[in-house]
Amino acid sequence: MDNLLTVSGVTAGYGPITVLRGLSLHLGAGECIGLFGPNGHGKTTLLQTISGLIRPTSGSIEFDGRELTRLRPPHIVEAGLVQSPQGNTLFGDMRVQETLELAAFSKHARDDRQSNLEKVFALFPRLEERRPQKARTLSGGERQMLSIGCALMCAPRLLMLDEPTLGLSPRLKEELAQAVGSIAKEGIPLIVVEQDVEFLMALADRLYLIEHGEVVREIDRANAPDHDEVMRLYFGEAAG
Amino acid sequence: MSTRARDILVPLACLAVLALVPLVATESYTRHLFIIAFIYGIIASNWNLSLGHCGVFNFGHLTFFGVGVYTAAIAAKTFGINPWIAIWLGGVTAAFAAFLIATPVARLKGIYVVLVTFAFSQLAMQLVLSQSQITGGAEGMVRIPFMRIGDYSFVRDYKLGYYYVGLGLLVLSTLFLLAVINSPFGKSLKAVRDAEDYAESRGISVSTQRILVLVLSAVFTGVAGGFYAIYLRVASPEVFGFGTLALALSMVLIGGTGTTYGPIAAALALTFATESLAGIRGLEEARFIIVAVAMILVLRLAPGGLLGLLNRLKI
Amino acid sequence: MIETLLAALVSGLVLGSLYALMASGLSVVWTTLGVFNFAHGALMMVGAFVAWTVSEAAGLGLLTGIAAGTLVAALLGVLIERLLVRPFYGHRSMLLITVMTTLAAMIILEKGAQIIWGARLKQLPRLIDGEVSILGATISAHEAVLVGLAPLILFAIWRFTLKTRTGRSLRAVGQNQNSAALIGIDVPVAFAIAFGLSAALAGLTGALLGSIRFITPVMGAEPLVKAMIVVIFGGLGSLGATAGAAYLIGLIEALLIVWLGLYWTPFVLFLMMIIVLVFRPNGIFGGKE
Repeated sequence: MDNLLTVSGVTAGYGPITVLRGLSLHLGAGECIGLFGPNGHGKTTLLQTISGLIRPTSGSIEFDGRELTRLRPPHIVEAGLVQSPQGNTLFGDMRVQETLELAAFSKHARDDRQSNLEKVFALFPRLEERRPQKARTLSGGERQMLSIGCALMCAPRLLMLDEPTLGLSPRLKEELAQAVGSIAKEGIPLIVVEQDVEFLMALADRLYLIEHGEVVREIDRANAPDHDEVMRLYFGEAAG
Repeated sequence: MSTRARDILVPLACLAVLALVPLVATESYTRHLFIIAFIYGIIASNWNLSLGHCGVFNFGHLTFFGVGVYTAAIAAKTFGINPWIAIWLGGVTAAFAAFLIATPVARLKGIYVVLVTFAFSQLAMQLVLSQSQITGGAEGMVRIPFMRIGDYSFVRDYKLGYYYVGLGLLVLSTLFLLAVINSPFGKSLKAVRDAEDYAESRGISVSTQRILVLVLSAVFTGVAGGFYAIYLRVASPEVFGFGTLALALSMVLIGGTGTTYGPIAAALALTFATESLAGIRGLEEARFIIVAVAMILVLRLAPGGLLGLLNRLKI
Repeated sequence: MIETLLAALVSGLVLGSLYALMASGLSVVWTTLGVFNFAHGALMMVGAFVAWTVSEAAGLGLLTGIAAGTLVAALLGVLIERLLVRPFYGHRSMLLITVMTTLAAMIILEKGAQIIWGARLKQLPRLIDGEVSILGATISAHEAVLVGLAPLILFAIWRFTLKTRTGRSLRAVGQNQNSAALIGIDVPVAFAIAFGLSAALAGLTGALLGSIRFITPVMGAEPLVKAMIVVIFGGLGSLGATAGAAYLIGLIEALLIVWLGLYWTPFVLFLMMIIVLVFRPNGIFGGKE
């Protein structure tokens, strides 16, 4: 059992609506996994449940041998399990510099604040240029960078990215994809949710296809599907 | 059929019981409590029209009541108008006041609706306080003329006459509310409360509707105010205060918003409960604390009351 | 004429200081939690009564009394947040429900104070005796302390929210609760801090006001209503706009008293407020939202 993260049989949702139906997956030490599948089938809900924003009704989540299922978000971040949420506007009235400084909020993140800040600026030079600007005035791509930057400031031991390239132009998408790649190369384990399966396959060791709140297929390099099969997975049999 | 029959038969049975109460309750104190409860029942059920059925958080509903109080008091005392007419004038001025406040409020949202309607009640109170030569200022008005029919005086019958006037007004107010709620306009209220955007796309003007609902909710509230002034023969600025507001609000909440009879039942129950607590030494002030705690408990534990409605789950 | 105006200006400054302290407390809670605390005036009243009990009844001195009043109000604020606000977090009608629960809290505090301290009028001694002359107008030295202290306190709150980690976390929570939680900020703790800070401010204001006005169970109602006017003028969103509006309202009120007398002034103030809202639903200084 040297999994860093084990999600077993998690059922969760919003009030009366159940989204995740007994979902299980795992992530080994140093691994990078990708999640894909149609919208509204539970990928974001899964990340929110792992982060503690949503309480699962059953199942368990274990991180680094520690049970997290009943913990609240600040303690999960403290443990090193960090998320950069989807389409994030963050704190509109706070400046970039301020936001990044604040993001090193947990005790262990505070010690490495300065060096992490340098790392974030090295990764996203644009953020350094935008330091005195308020988050509200940033472009979509810059907000995405800030969001990932914030997550890095939390000193993650496992980083979850929810659609980091959503709604961006191809050029910016490329820029962010490269940044995500270099985060992975630094050795930070990743869980990446993406629509772009080819980007995921290039990045991740394994992929999970999530539909109706369940893992319906696990893909690793050994059984990697070709392009046509991916299209079929996505758009159903009709496309194949 | 059965639910429909129940909707008609149960209120009629209750009405019959209330009509017979004075035969049993012959001392004037018990009758007095019933009269006060009828008045609060009118206030609470009409407040519910705007709060429960339309989702307008009018924090100045008691202003309409106060306007009715002072209209009837001034009409009857200063101008010598027959009290029977004066109480209806209270309804007219209250509706006019509602129109004045509704015009700005209809465009506002969220906390600003609360703040402005509340400020409006403060404005009315300040007006009453500052115009002391007309309203009696902080001391209020006393010795307002009482009701009579021919030679029959309403002050020497152990409140029997006032009891039936109060009950009659409550019945009229309830019939009025039922007519409004079951009209096409009442049904469109539900549509707006449940889906404002959708309603607007269907051509329902939300602001017009809010203005109308506030005006309608003010009519019988003002009449109740007029009756209150004539019955007690006093008018005092206290009616605009936080205390009256909280008591009436707790009746709406405890009775269940969005129901027609709930607030009336709660008004009866709470009036008797608070009055009997007032009789216990040391609890004169504490009874308000008990009402406030009850209000909180209803909000926390009985979401069927207000929360159920605010969730827009039931009518 | 000039003298009258100057006198009005100075008394407007005293009123403005009072309103600024009250309204900034409301603003802190509003910007962090999105809750309008109707019990804010009652917390002020509790601060005054506790200060009186500690300072006069127990004879421990005025400064101890003021500190105790501030502390007790802060604790009550945290308690209100815990019992009357927190259960409704995330509820879609949270704003309106908390208006009602904090209104209930106000009733409980006012009636509770009446039971504990009775209806007899009480007053605290002044921090400093004597009088001060500003611009030819004379006010008590205690009022001068209030006038001097208010900007300092406002400045301290402003620096706190801008520069400290905790202060920044309050702003972050106010702007985006989920994102704040995801960088490790404990949202309920931030809420409790905001409520405690705001209530401490109310308690301090009450303890200071207890030397100028009589201490009664309903002494908080009028400043609360004035603070409501202030937040309507200034919008609830930013501390600077709220403070600016507070001084403006204090000044307008003082001038109106000179020109129209005590009776018409509140009426005109409320009328102005309603007119402002018709044209600027987010306040004069409130831009966005």
